[in-house]
Amino acid sequence: MRTGALRAVLALVAAGLLTTAAGSPAAAATPGPPAPRTPIRHLVMLMQENHSFDNYFGTYPGADGLPAGVCMPVRPDKPERGCVKPHHLGDRPLRDHSHDYKTALRQLDGGKMDGFVRALNVRRQDGTVAMGYYDRGDLPFHWAVADQYVLFDRFFSSSLRGGDANHTFWVAGRPELGNGPTIFDRLQQRGISWKFYIAGHDPQLNIRTPPGERDAHWGRVLDDVPILKLARFADDRRLASHIVDLGEYYKDLQEGTLPAVSFMVDYGASEHPPGDLVLGQRLVRSLVNGLMASSAWKDSAFLYSYDDWGGWYDHVRPPKVDADGYGFRVPALLVSPYARRGHVDHTQLDQTAGIRFVEENWGLAPVGGRDAAARTFTAAFDFSSPPRGPSLLFENLGGTGGATLRRPASGLLYGFYGAAFGVAALVLAAAFAASRRQARLGGRPDHGGAG
Amino acid sequence: MVQLITRPRAVAVAERGPDQAAAPPPLPARLPPWVVVPSGMVIGGVAAFLRLWQLNVLGFNSDEAVYAGQAAAIAGDPALKGIFPVFRAHPLLYQFVTAVLFRGGSRDLVARLLAVAFGLATVYLVYRLGSLLYGQAVGLLAAALLAVCPYHVVVTRQALLDGALTFFATLTVLLLAKFATTGFPPWLWAAGAGFGLTFLAKETGLVFAPATYAFLALVPSIRVRFRDVAGWAVCAALVIAPFPLSLLLGGGSRTAKGFLVWQLFRAPNHDWSFYLTQVSQALGPLLLVAALLALVASVGAWSWRETLLACWAAVPVLFFQVWPVKGFQYLLPVAVVVVVLAAKLVVGAWPRHRLRLPAAARGLAIVALVAGLGLASWGRVSSAGSTSFLAGSGGVPGGREAGRWLQASTPPGSRLLTIGPSMANILAFYGHRRGYGLSVSPNPLHRNPAYQPVNNPDLLIRSGEVQYLVWDSFTAARTPYFTERLLRYVRRYHGQVVHTETVPVRRDGAPTAQPIIVVYQVRP
Repeated sequence: MRTGALRAVLALVAAGLLTTAAGSPAAAATPGPPAPRTPIRHLVMLMQENHSFDNYFGTYPGADGLPAGVCMPVRPDKPERGCVKPHHLGDRPLRDHSHDYKTALRQLDGGKMDGFVRALNVRRQDGTVAMGYYDRGDLPFHWAVADQYVLFDRFFSSSLRGGDANHTFWVAGRPELGNGPTIFDRLQQRGISWKFYIAGHDPQLNIRTPPGERDAHWGRVLDDVPILKLARFADDRRLASHIVDLGEYYKDLQEGTLPAVSFMVDYGASEHPPGDLVLGQRLVRSLVNGLMASSAWKDSAFLYSYDDWGGWYDHVRPPKVDADGYGFRVPALLVSPYARRGHVDHTQLDQTAGIRFVEENWGLAPVGGRDAAARTFTAAFDFSSPPRGPSLLFENLGGTGGATLRRPASGLLYGFYGAAFGVAALVLAAAFAASRRQARLGGRPDHGGAG
Repeated sequence: MVQLITRPRAVAVAERGPDQAAAPPPLPARLPPWVVVPSGMVIGGVAAFLRLWQLNVLGFNSDEAVYAGQAAAIAGDPALKGIFPVFRAHPLLYQFVTAVLFRGGSRDLVARLLAVAFGLATVYLVYRLGSLLYGQAVGLLAAALLAVCPYHVVVTRQALLDGALTFFATLTVLLLAKFATTGFPPWLWAAGAGFGLTFLAKETGLVFAPATYAFLALVPSIRVRFRDVAGWAVCAALVIAPFPLSLLLGGGSRTAKGFLVWQLFRAPNHDWSFYLTQVSQALGPLLLVAALLALVASVGAWSWRETLLACWAAVPVLFFQVWPVKGFQYLLPVAVVVVVLAAKLVVGAWPRHRLRLPAAARGLAIVALVAGLGLASWGRVSSAGSTSFLAGSGGVPGGREAGRWLQASTPPGSRLLTIGPSMANILAFYGHRRGYGLSVSPNPLHRNPAYQPVNNPDLLIRSGEVQYLVWDSFTAARTPYFTERLLRYVRRYHGQVVHTETVPVRRDGAPTAQPIIVVYQVRP
């Protein structure tokens, strides 16, 4: 008890000294946060869930999508069992099919990439679903983003081990957090503003949550927001205050307080099968359009990708970069006033590309092994051109405002109405001419008209 | 007697009566050019002045925005073609001509100048009609009365269909009069073409088909052969044909059907006395009384001319009085009849009637009528910035400015939620931003088919489909319920005022700025 009191006194003294130092002129002269090395002053990163690149953009023109003639064997070892071709899923109801590590390895099949159907079948699931894909009709918003901004077709999930590991790679550049730093520690140390926006955030959900209150949702939140597994992000109010509800994102946009680096996750609209794709697109649209409508747009970048492939087919064998990865390709898109227009970027990237960009842009040291070696997406920007003005994206997502107007050909209307004038003018001219002729011939007896 | 108009001998003979000898000396049928030309120039100048003075000081109202938006869509305006559908309720003659003029850019002034041109052309046609029916003196006075008639001035200053409709309806009645005068069938066919153009200007022009029929049926002395009627119908059908054909081939037939159903089952928007109070006031009560007196005074000397004018006025009045939907400008074609009849009364153009005012009294009546109407018109065109608003009676203060602010200050693609669709239309035209009216009914029978209902405003805002909420005093005065709903969403979604349009008013004797349009930015 006495030792504890002594520690408390020492802590107070230390805190007092620190406070005094902070208020001194020397502290005032401490350099502020480093200036970004590119025009990007705000990076926003959203992680959606469980779709492969071919599943979402397999038929996107100009991207490395579904190979022509591909047919996935039902049983790779028994070709006579037939094969499954890619097929359009549309609004077919789905279930959340397997996408764990074992499934990934079975689908990878030692690099032969021929186990996508089989891997689900052995889990007593409909393996043919794995070969399903969506197109522009199903993903109008995502495809419109690709049309206007940048789509990455060599963006791999960091690991085959699934979403948990990939979320950890996303923030720490390694598969396990351990005691090492995260990108947020780096940002905090350098005084660079950051926030982690979580949809429906409950500040009580973290590593300090009493065991009796830990439910499935708690587990999911901690998997998607790995820093909640770290005691310092629960105990240190300065750190914990950066983890906020997604609603604050819009407030920050409105008030001009968007931090330099933002991470965000959503649950209800994460597109995780069998989740509604429309909801996911509405979420991204709201986030992107909100950014565009804000003062932050002019020097911002919004990167959104997917945490893992979700068990869906993807035809590109993931490169082997280390013991953990890469995993299968996932969709990734970049929206920014500096993003190249309608560009398909073929740079080989993984989910650590985001923090790699943060490290390069703000001059921070790497936090994990993967990010230290990772490439980033600077090639997707064109900083030599002036920033593009915002233009909100509204593709038809089944809401009120999505309907596009059917417009007849102008020539049709000009032709018809011009012809109407022509006919009327002709009849009038004919009547006038005939009347004149009649008058010249001596007039026509009238029928009278007294009423 | 000297005929007041160039008309057939048979008519003249038929109209001579026993009172002829006691009638005052007739007016000359034709006036000397030194009277007609300067008078015509003055009338044209005054008509143009009243229609052009501060023409564009206020921006479009909702209907103007819609028609100009349609024209812009036809012209392929890249900013507006995705916002305004081409096919809505009406045929597209006015929009088609406007679209031709919009090829160089969709400007509100251009659309209004076209309306003014139709208005001025109608004044000329009224001169021709009055001259044909009752002589040049009546023609000139009728033109002068229409030139200064507040009803016609106000409506033909706006980019509305009714100015064009009135022009073509006047052309049609003139051609019918030509037919009645000469009995020459091609004039009846031309009247068919004129009727077709009237319909193409606005489908309510259809009322002039029964008016034509009533006229021909009520004047048995006008012999009409079946083939003449067939000629009328063929010419009318040929001119009208673009409307159904373009709907059919352009994919708008469903829209047109939707509009028809909506119009048929639409709830009344004004009470039965609307025309009596609003339109009679806009026409000028004196003018109206003069026209009615002219009809009464004609009882003893009724001719096909009065029948024609009566049919041309009575059928539209009856139709629109019975029709549940009432609009300020709907009865504009009747103004033509009113001014011709009033001019007839004042000039005293009765071939065998004693009712003729002395010259001095006539002059006084003419001055009183023209000056009274002119002053009333001047009062209407010179007052800008009123905070009260009647649809069809003029522009909307602040709408253009708010729209331009939206265009300049919000990202392209931003969307708005307004209290009602009217302000959404105005802001869409000027701001190039699509808007939704909160008051648009989800029931298809109770809404204009061109409008999309907002079934779930919360979803709309939460999903980022709408970024701005717009309050306006004009709609707020009409619909307190939806106004409160909009303001509730403003509060719920952290609305911040980002723009306000005001008009100067005097309150407690001191000048103050009264907000008329407020734009809020909201967030999920």
